[in-house]
Amino acid sequence: MIAAGMRKYFLLSLAAMAIAFLQTAFRDKRTPVDKAELGKLLFFDPILSRDSTISCASCHKPAYAFADTSAVSLGVDGRKGRRNTPSAMNLSLPHFFFWDGRAGSLEEQGLAPIENKDEMNLPVEEALVRLKNNMVYVQYFRQAFNSGPDRATLSGALAAFERTLETSDSPFDNWKFSDRPDAISDAAKRGFTIFNQKGKCIQCHFGADFTTNEFRNIGLFDGRALNDSGRAVISGKQEDAGKFKVPALRNVAITAPYMHNGQLKTLREVIDFYNEPDKVVPHSINRDSVLSKPLGLTQQEKGDLEAFLLSLTDKRFQ
Amino acid sequence: MKMIASITAAFLGLVVFTTGNELTGRWESKPSVKGNVTGVVFKSDSSFEGYVNKKPFTSGRYLFENGLFSFTDNGCEGKRGIYRVIFFHNGDSLRLEPVSDSCVQRKEGMSKLILGRVK
Repeated sequence: MIAAGMRKYFLLSLAAMAIAFLQTAFRDKRTPVDKAELGKLLFFDPILSRDSTISCASCHKPAYAFADTSAVSLGVDGRKGRRNTPSAMNLSLPHFFFWDGRAGSLEEQGLAPIENKDEMNLPVEEALVRLKNNMVYVQYFRQAFNSGPDRATLSGALAAFERTLETSDSPFDNWKFSDRPDAISDAAKRGFTIFNQKGKCIQCHFGADFTTNEFRNIGLFDGRALNDSGRAVISGKQEDAGKFKVPALRNVAITAPYMHNGQLKTLREVIDFYNEPDKVVPHSINRDSVLSKPLGLTQQEKGDLEAFLLSLTDKRFQ
Repeated sequence: MKMIASITAAFLGLVVFTTGNELTGRWESKPSVKGNVTGVVFKSDSSFEGYVNKKPFTSGRYLFENGLFSFTDNGCEGKRGIYRVIFFHNGDSLRLEPVSDSCVQRKEGMSKLILGRVK
């Protein structure tokens, strides 16, 4: 009886090894792993978190333009993050990463959430030991980098994957490039004019991804209930208190909630806030002069602006 | 004779109308170190669309006269920029030399640009 059980166990083990071998051999011949493909595997693998429950994709959800749907994301042991998870798409152009711009490259950015105690809470050195003990990953790193897992190759793979997440096929893009006047609605066209003029949005959201990549204080800092001083902690400058990186707007319709703390739930709430910031935060400190006076948008203008923002959603999400 | 001159003038007018000026068409930079490609489409109706990596990032109206490119776009708070267009190689590539532009960031970016005509 025991001998039969042992034989069955032995045969099953043999079969599993054969399948693993064939999968590896098949992959070698048909789908060599490049840096971005390896980065994608790592992005979705909880191996990089302390208790192996959280991956990058747990908070950067693909269906929501690689952003999260809650004000702040939950990390290992259900710990709450401090700031809203930004979209991980369209990151090829910026020079700063994180809301406070503390990382100067995607490579630098990629390792921080692994070590952050409120996110994946795993020292990078431990993550590398795990990867080095995983023969599949060791092989993939060799294929992609001709080298084993280390800080540079791990961050390089994650960054390479993130650089593939560019979107440039929204109705707005089609309107601009296809000479098709009906690619967006008349409301969205009026909204684009408001975006550029009365709404003053363009002053901070100018560029291919609708951000100047600057740091601005929009008035969500009052030193009391709203006391995240943002960029000042990195720059050490008092005048940077309450400043955060201007976020990109591509796919903004599917990345709610909004702002660095996720306090605004809908695009309409965002538009209402910018229209009259004092109504939402009456005693803000050092708010940007662009927002010193109410914009005076009518209900129709707010609707038009929202229609324009909706037109920035890439077709892959429609 | 008068009729031939009129027909010729009409034909030339049609050519100018349909082909625009030397700038009309699509121009693109070579990929930067980071792989970014900047481009601009100058349309014959005096409008233009600038883009980076196939993403539109600026649009505006322009005038091209006597080698000078004068324009306003939706950035830089509507400030007008004037640049001398220097064509290379029979007009297949160009660079822009600032003549007047109080928008510092735009001036910095445009001064570095070398664009080739996309056929």
